[in-house]
Amino acid sequence: MAKTVNVNVHHVTRVEGHGNIVVNATDGKVEKVEWQVPEAPRFFEAMVRGRSYEDIQTIVSRICGICSITHSLASTKAVENAMGIRVSEQADKVRILMHYSEQLQSHVLHVGYLVSPDLFGLPSVVPLAAKAPEVVMAVIRLHRLANEWSDLIAGRTTHPVTLTPGGLTKFPTEKELRELQERLKNSVADLKAVAEAVLSVAGNIPDFTRETEYIALKQDNPPTYTFYHGDITSTDYDGAVSIHDWQSVANEYMNDQSTAKWTKWHRESYTVGALARFNNNAELLSPLAKDVAKMLGLAKGCCNPFMNSVAQIVECVHVVETSIGMIDELLTAGVKPETVKVSPKAGKASGCVEAPRGILFHQYEFDRKGNCVGADICIPTNQNHAAIQQDFEKFVPEILDEGEDAVRLKLEMLVRSYDPCISCSTHMLNVQFVR
Amino acid sequence: MRKPTVVLGLGNPLMADDGIGVDLVGRLGQEADCYPAVDFIDAGVGGMSVLHMIEGRRKAILIDSAHMGEAPGTLRRFTPDQVRIAKILAHQSLHEADLLRVLTLAEQLGQAPETMVIFGIQPQVVEPRQGLSGLLLDRIDHYLREIRSELEKSAG
Repeated sequence: MAKTVNVNVHHVTRVEGHGNIVVNATDGKVEKVEWQVPEAPRFFEAMVRGRSYEDIQTIVSRICGICSITHSLASTKAVENAMGIRVSEQADKVRILMHYSEQLQSHVLHVGYLVSPDLFGLPSVVPLAAKAPEVVMAVIRLHRLANEWSDLIAGRTTHPVTLTPGGLTKFPTEKELRELQERLKNSVADLKAVAEAVLSVAGNIPDFTRETEYIALKQDNPPTYTFYHGDITSTDYDGAVSIHDWQSVANEYMNDQSTAKWTKWHRESYTVGALARFNNNAELLSPLAKDVAKMLGLAKGCCNPFMNSVAQIVECVHVVETSIGMIDELLTAGVKPETVKVSPKAGKASGCVEAPRGILFHQYEFDRKGNCVGADICIPTNQNHAAIQQDFEKFVPEILDEGEDAVRLKLEMLVRSYDPCISCSTHMLNVQFVR
Repeated sequence: MRKPTVVLGLGNPLMADDGIGVDLVGRLGQEADCYPAVDFIDAGVGGMSVLHMIEGRRKAILIDSAHMGEAPGTLRRFTPDQVRIAKILAHQSLHEADLLRVLTLAEQLGQAPETMVIFGIQPQVVEPRQGLSGLLLDRIDHYLREIRSELEKSAG
């Protein structure tokens, strides 16, 4: 049946910038389909210029309230790479634990608070709390655990304070690690409950597929489902590229639809995030995470972007199960105090980690006093913009017959599934007094 | 053990006056010895994490920059039921958060403190730079006096 559809989801008047969705179709013919992104947080690159290497992490941790640990880790690794600073095995493990806490924190928030209402057919988590309170309470318990885990290792829930070039300023005690481990073991029941809740509404996950290049970190030595170490790989590429050559992978370019830079490698677009990591590294997941992937019908090679949220649930299980084992390793070795002494020197290098929403690159150049003279940051969301556009172009003709409301909702769900970080530099209140 | 009162400073110090809440909670934290029953937390742009920072408290005092239709630099004390949200959320990402919606969810889950007080400060400048505007800096002592007075009410 021929349809005329006009969707214009604009958020340009908002305090916080967001993407716009534009679809124009007349008599079943699609005239315009666009994912427009009005802004990107590039100004942080200017803000770090002239600042000491010691201050970089503190500044970039404020780029984002959800991925503050990830930005801190990427920048700290870049500083260490630029100045030839080595990190102990113990500090490396504790940093990975810190990073895992943010993966859990972010994924649980995304699946629990943003995606679940879609799957349950509700407008937000507030009515979901009334309809499925036990699921929301499991999500909240997991979120609280992740926050307290961050508090313990990073010194705070958001914007970490224990990270420093060369290591960490504070380590958790063995008693604290044992307590955390116990809590992680106890959280498995809540993780299973969330997975089962998603399974119960999995029929509402749109059935959409587009052949996609997925890019993620890959670590061979030892083989690891990695978020922190390794080189860059893709589902279209058998080898691996050093993280220091990330610009040759991202190939950033400007697009008229957006003030954010877009990226492409072997195709016109690529995708990063949980599904990208899964599609590159699934065989390296922890045993329980593999079971949950199987239960939820997620298999390597999946090209349905809506399944990114399912991959996030799988990763939640993976980071919890893996952390339980890592804490055993730390306790067996014994947690020892460390002092870090760094002498700044000139250098230029990159740092790369997997943010919850995909691979993140930071690059800095320092003068001999350790002051920053240049910065280049490439965030995962920018790397997904071209893929979202290509998904729109394939998806809209497939759903046009469902009418304007369904097209709008499904495109919004599609954007949400990518878990984008479009702007979180401010969260200002905006209120009108009623009393 | 959680202290019965929490003061949260919200905002981003890299966005000029948006960082007023973080600035003020940092200053108040230096007086923490005077307030043994109060936790002072730099909540940054933590969004939903506020839910867990206020849980289990008797009172939460939240300091944030706020568009209230007032003259720049104005401080207003209000409770969540005195205002309505004027912000439209896209629900596209986690990277948008609205404090009032987080407080609503806390109430719905039965996790909200008995008393929730917001100190909103109308910003003069919100743009990518560090440091508050001169206007807000000149009024810091006034803001601190108002919040200290609220803390003394809690103690009493």
